[in-house]
Amino acid sequence: MEKVVTNPAIVVEELCVEFSGKTVLENVSLTILPAELHVIIGPSGSGKSTLLRAINRLNEFFPNCRTSGLVRIRLDGHLVDIYARDAPPLPELRRRVAMVFQTPAVLPFSIEKNMTMPLKVTLGLRGGELRERMEWALRQVGLWDEVEARLLDEATTLSGGQQQRLCLARALALGPQVLLVDEPTASLDFRATETIEQLLVDLKDRYTIIAVSHSLSQARRLADRLWVLREGRVMQQMNRRQLQDAALFQEIIDNIF
Amino acid sequence: MPFGRPCGLRLRSKLERCIERILLIATAIAAVAIISILLLLAYFCLPLFTSGELGEVFSRRWQPFAGSYGILPMCAGSFAISLLALFLAFPGAVAICFFVHSLAPAPAAGLLKTLVHFMTGIPTVIYGFVSVFLLVPLMRDWLSAGTGFTLLTAAITLSLLILPTIVLVFQARLERIDPTLTLASAALGFTPIEQVRHVLIPASAQGLLVAAILGFGRAIGDTLISLMLAGNAAQFPVSLFVSIRTLTAHIALVLATDSQSMAYRSVFAAGLVLFLLMGMINLLIQRIGRADNEKTYEKDR
Ligand SMILES: Nc1ncnc2c1ncn2[C@@H]1O[C@H](COP(=O)(O)OP(=O)(O)OP(=O)(O)O)[C@@H](O)[C@H]1O
Ligand SMILES: [Mg+2]
Repeated sequence: MEKVVTNPAIVVEELCVEFSGKTVLENVSLTILPAELHVIIGPSGSGKSTLLRAINRLNEFFPNCRTSGLVRIRLDGHLVDIYARDAPPLPELRRRVAMVFQTPAVLPFSIEKNMTMPLKVTLGLRGGELRERMEWALRQVGLWDEVEARLLDEATTLSGGQQQRLCLARALALGPQVLLVDEPTASLDFRATETIEQLLVDLKDRYTIIAVSHSLSQARRLADRLWVLREGRVMQQMNRRQLQDAALFQEIIDNIF
Repeated sequence: MPFGRPCGLRLRSKLERCIERILLIATAIAAVAIISILLLLAYFCLPLFTSGELGEVFSRRWQPFAGSYGILPMCAGSFAISLLALFLAFPGAVAICFFVHSLAPAPAAGLLKTLVHFMTGIPTVIYGFVSVFLLVPLMRDWLSAGTGFTLLTAAITLSLLILPTIVLVFQARLERIDPTLTLASAALGFTPIEQVRHVLIPASAQGLLVAAILGFGRAIGDTLISLMLAGNAAQFPVSLFVSIRTLTAHIALVLATDSQSMAYRSVFAAGLVLFLLMGMINLLIQRIGRADNEKTYEKDR
């Protein structure tokens, strides 16, 4: 199948985000293409998480936040301005543009309820379908074998890496169109990191994925397209070919960090 | 520098020891006061136990001139009025908390908070006073409930009194819940109502219980409202529209008017009941608090 490059999945134009008057993102413009894995890197505090949150309007959770600019997302074939007056309601938008946080945010319930409750509440699933969907999602993130026997334990009893994967599974189960993952492998061991990286690669044909990474080598491994953020600005954009060139990559990174 | 360092250190440790001693003394005074209250109550109640008058005090009839000194109607009255007030205040208080916490736009939330804080500052007697002129005639004329000084009249007023208590306690609990929990459920596509229903309420269940118990305790301990509005008839609360007397009002009334020995002793029995009840409530809350702290979803673990 040929990629249709003129068919962007997400368009961000001149996005500015302020917290209490302090500019955190400044004139960020990006075009996200379907079926590519997009990775954002940048120093701590450069606004990576804020950029992800701008794409599902989660910054509005903070009352001191002001957003301007344009974010358009392809939903059901059309590019929709998500900040427009006639944009889809927030709950629907966030269901379609799922986000997994940097620090795992499990709900204070059992592992099973963490998975099934959102499915019940937002999609109205019941019974066997619910269980199937849960098992499918947990298998995707390679967690099923670890939790199958203890589904009724509190989710907080899982290790940090397991919680991280649980949150990813929970997001996947809801069947989003866009997946925003904030440092998905930050607290994972070697093997689990491999699982998640492979998963992201496998999923990129089905979902539009934007991932934040702290690891330069991981970013180089995964990214079809890479953005480097510094102090709220996009300093550099790189494609697959440029990323292959190790010397060039190193030079650019050295300049920015 | 006039002081060398060791000298300064010594000075500080001296000051610290002094402060420590003052705090210890203050704690001791408080502890002694509480223990002596309990001992005093027990001492005055002792004759009840030894002379077998206990049955008389914990009986169903209060007719001092006929020689019946039962305080059971007052116990029942206290429970009835407190439960009823809690029943009336609790849903409203909880609704206010969730509204302020996650549903209301900021200005409305601020206004409500200010209002609740203002309510805590109103002296109890004002509530009673206003009710006498507002609620009592309403009860008397509309519901033709006797004189209008009824269980329901007092309970409604009392519910206004305990509402801010419940709101403030539960509000504090809600604020201790990690905000990422709400953020996470918003990210899952929950509407604000769904967030409250499926995440916040389960996560704050213990807090709800604590707030309810504290509200109940506040209602049990209140004297003035029931004294002014409940009619003070020493009878069982058989309906919402009868006059009743609470334990607290009973103590106030008997101490103010009576000095017969048995009546007096019944006052101490009433005091002991109240004291034990409050003690139990406090123990209960401590126990819940301990269980609650073991949960990990609150910020300050
Ligand atoms: N809710 C908020 N209120 C105020 N300031 C915020 C808020 N969220 C983020 N910021 C500020 O915005 C800036 C960017 O934060 P952000 O979390 O997006 O950085 P990041 O690139 O994800 O960093 P890290 O790699 O450490 O996760 C920081 O200076 C941070 O202090
Ligand atoms: Mg971040």
